[in-house]
Amino acid sequence: MTFDVVVIGAGHAGCEAAWAAARLGCRVGLCTLSADTVALMPCNPAIGGTAKGHLVREIDALGGLMARAIDATGIQFKLLNRSRGPAVWSPRAQADKRRYGAWMRDALEREPNITWLFRRAGRIMTAGGRVTGLAFEDGESVACSAIVVTTGTFLNGLIHVGDEQRPAGRAGEPPSCDLATSIREIGVEMGRLKTGTPPRLDRRSIDFSVFGEEPGDDPVVPFSFLTTRIERPQVACHLVYTSERVHEIVRRSIDRSPLYNGRIQGIGPRYCPSLEDKVMRFPDKSRHQIFLEPEGIDVDEIYVNGLSMSLPRDVQEEIVHALPGLERASILRHAYAVEYDFVQPTELHRSLETKRLPGLFLAGQINGTSGYEEAAAQGLMAGLNAARIVRGDAAIVLGRDEAYIGILIDDLVTRGCLEPYRMFTSRAEHRLLLRIDNADVRLTPVGHRAGLVDAERWRLFEARMERLDRNRARAATTRVTVDGRRVTVEQALAQPPVTLDDVRGGGFEMDVDPERAHLDTATIEAELRYRGYLRRHAADVARARAQETRAIPVHFEYRGIPGLSREVVERLTTVRPETIGQAARVPGVTPAAVAIVAARVARGARA
Amino acid sequence: MAAFSTTDTIVAVATPPGRGGLGLVRLSGLAAEPIVRRLTRRRTPFVPRHATFARLADVTTVDATDDVTPPARIVDHVVVTWFAAPHSFTGEDVVEIGAHGSPVLLQRVVELAMAAGARLAEPGEFTLRAHLNGRLDLVQAEAIADLVDAVTPLQARAAMDQLEGTLTEAIGRVDAALFDLIARLEASLDFPEEGFHFVTRADAAAEVEAVRATLAMLVTEGRAGRVVREGRLVVVTGAPNAGKSSLFNALVGASRAIVTDVPGTTRDVLSERVDVGGVPITLVDTAGVREARDVVEAEGVRRAIEAQTVAAVIVEVVDGSAPLPAVGAGGGDAAKDRATSPAPRIIVVSKVDRPRAWPNATLGDAADRIVETSVVSGAGIDALRRRILSALTSRDEWRDTPAVTNLRHVAQLETALAAVERAAQELDAGATEELVLAGLSDARAALEAITGVRAPDDLLRHIFSRFCIGK
Repeated sequence: MTFDVVVIGAGHAGCEAAWAAARLGCRVGLCTLSADTVALMPCNPAIGGTAKGHLVREIDALGGLMARAIDATGIQFKLLNRSRGPAVWSPRAQADKRRYGAWMRDALEREPNITWLFRRAGRIMTAGGRVTGLAFEDGESVACSAIVVTTGTFLNGLIHVGDEQRPAGRAGEPPSCDLATSIREIGVEMGRLKTGTPPRLDRRSIDFSVFGEEPGDDPVVPFSFLTTRIERPQVACHLVYTSERVHEIVRRSIDRSPLYNGRIQGIGPRYCPSLEDKVMRFPDKSRHQIFLEPEGIDVDEIYVNGLSMSLPRDVQEEIVHALPGLERASILRHAYAVEYDFVQPTELHRSLETKRLPGLFLAGQINGTSGYEEAAAQGLMAGLNAARIVRGDAAIVLGRDEAYIGILIDDLVTRGCLEPYRMFTSRAEHRLLLRIDNADVRLTPVGHRAGLVDAERWRLFEARMERLDRNRARAATTRVTVDGRRVTVEQALAQPPVTLDDVRGGGFEMDVDPERAHLDTATIEAELRYRGYLRRHAADVARARAQETRAIPVHFEYRGIPGLSREVVERLTTVRPETIGQAARVPGVTPAAVAIVAARVARGARA
Repeated sequence: MAAFSTTDTIVAVATPPGRGGLGLVRLSGLAAEPIVRRLTRRRTPFVPRHATFARLADVTTVDATDDVTPPARIVDHVVVTWFAAPHSFTGEDVVEIGAHGSPVLLQRVVELAMAAGARLAEPGEFTLRAHLNGRLDLVQAEAIADLVDAVTPLQARAAMDQLEGTLTEAIGRVDAALFDLIARLEASLDFPEEGFHFVTRADAAAEVEAVRATLAMLVTEGRAGRVVREGRLVVVTGAPNAGKSSLFNALVGASRAIVTDVPGTTRDVLSERVDVGGVPITLVDTAGVREARDVVEAEGVRRAIEAQTVAAVIVEVVDGSAPLPAVGAGGGDAAKDRATSPAPRIIVVSKVDRPRAWPNATLGDAADRIVETSVVSGAGIDALRRRILSALTSRDEWRDTPAVTNLRHVAQLETALAAVERAAQELDAGATEELVLAGLSDARAALEAITGVRAPDDLLRHIFSRFCIGK
């Protein structure tokens, strides 16, 4: 069998990668162990959250799948930060986990360019210094021009529950060791990270009467630009707090935690602290929030968000039973910590292709990130760029002022990872520009040019842009009365207490598609509210973009340049920044060094 | 600051500080000549490589094209020379303004050039541009990269501050307060579901006001020139009781440091403005570098080591009448520092009126840099002055004056103040965090241009160290 692109892994990165490459007309082989684990959510059954919701909107704007999958299978939606401005609104939803995976599998099965390969990937085959195929562990092989590896936590995965250790990628699934060896043999720098997941409880054994109820939004703001309504019934989550009694159990058992007794070497995510970390590092805090989240409408598994740990089973039982309402709860699956290999992402070009082996792309947790959304965003870009290099086209790289996806990939390949990387809005220099409401304005044309966006999405987008332009023009010319003065809508909304609803009541007629009213109003409101800042920062954005257009040759020699310290030479040689702008973001590279490199590059270009 | 721009026009005082008869302000870049033409209200370009007499006026308050307005105030009578590209120091259009030499006047000329569109040069930036345009050789270029990099970190600034009482310590404090507030506001945006407030609106408003007030005070002080530093640092260092303070007093000509035979007498850093051969310097006496016996002395030693990192010249005093201390004994940090400080080093063998305990040749290659002195007989003091002078002038052209550094601080402080005022207005009007942060982040960028830029992860690290966040 021969493929253009083989994708290893069908998690959140793998699904988007296979979809993107197939949309561009490539013959895609999607290699995974079982049809039952496609787009699995091995940790919390939720999509989105601050900044992550932005990523999902961007994936959708480019033509990816994740937003539509969650809109079709979500059972509780919330728009986070609704009390704040539109730049930081972020959607989050609880998923019906089983149906989410089924929706994604169905979408991929209907794509004729994708062939499923239900087998265990073994070795990456190369010839002449590039990828030529993939050998499976059973010895058979397929030929291909590019491979996208999206193996999540499977590379030399090792699960810890107290003293118990077993090699596994996820609970009950064997790890990928041959593939780990094959990747290591390429010579890439690798490291070890850790993550964890909390216990799952049986819904029927929980006394819900004692909890505070956490309902979702009504009406719901969907993720996808295509979705107009949410069909699935909505449910509530429940909130419970840890107590001093729970903390005491943790402290008493701390030497049985592999996180604290030295058995776990990998570095875990600080923004998802284990229960051990919460108790030991913040002894003054008398209680911590725990959310009980259903994993589906008609399943009995309850995800205990906030209770990830690596303590032994008997201690987990004791902790769960010490919580109110959970005195008799039965644990369906115990919490565990998992250590896994990752590839230092400074090994990658911004296209997500490895520098050492042309044709090999990496996406998702293997690059040191955490989170389904971060994985999916990389998967989409890796699949897109793998297809493009197969066709002989240049890679598509999104800028830091264009998309959170651009920030994500730039941070990874420029700075590398010392701990699992999660997206936050504070990572964006131009946060007021990168909003969920304008993800389509920013990215749908990019997706359209690349061939990811279908005709229906493009038609909807063009109609929306026409409405937006009309509304912009009206806002500049329509006058309304504010505090007794006649001012334009533009001027009125520059005053923080004035809202779009105020001026719409006062004579500002908007052109709104009733099915997508939230989008039409959000974009106008954001543009007007942030107008002063967007204008002030336009010069910064232009200056930064100018630095990004100044390319550094692939084989540029840093050694021997006068004025560069040895440390700077080493860092630049490792990262091999593709532009002057990127060089300036490499840790430890000083402004003076950047100026010297820029001058050398300019001189070389003239010669 | 992400990177130096190499396309705009820069300005700085080019001559060493002091009350000499004449001083030079230099501009480099495309707009150099038009800017000076505007400041001197000429209608025709200067003639390249000709010295032209002109009246430099404060044109910032009047419209230069409007003949009806009263004539602008004349700031000084100057001599202007235009070196057209590429035949100049930097390879770009360079204009040199020869003015009268008062530091206040020269600073005013720089400010006027900035008001007319020039940017204050970063330390070493003229030389950097010369290098980029192929006007300097390899050795010189390596030296500048050291200098340009060495002047940015907060640590080096703080060292200066403790020696001279400049703004930087106060700037560091207001920068830290602002950063902490930003971190909490950012946390409210990125972690809205934690079930508690990272900062209340009232607290945020109070903290923004405190930051604003401090910045306003610093800007006022900076403008008043109270903090203008003058003179390059000449740091006297050496083992305890080597005779540093006696030498310091001999150079200053007054008994300022307490001199005793007890090692560790000088526990802090003393500094004094002195004139060496017409060049003003700040002479710094440091605590003897050794294993400190108590906290106060340890602090003195730390400052002594810091002083060396910003020194223009280091004078290392060795007692000629006592056995040489073993290499590195009690001075491990100083030895390490010796490797990193780019400043020239003069070795003074003190107390030569007493019998020598070792021959100069013991110091090997360093013997060439020895000056023998005795404060009892006065021998060698003048020779030392001459040696300091020549060490200073050999590297002088690469460094901007400390006074300009302060001017840069004031400019950044003004930017920060304006941004914080915007944020305060937003808060007042009920704006939400992301808008308030837009202003505060601009202020942070301006302050970090002084204190050193933080990495993106520093903010998250700060949040996670203060709050238990995440599920």
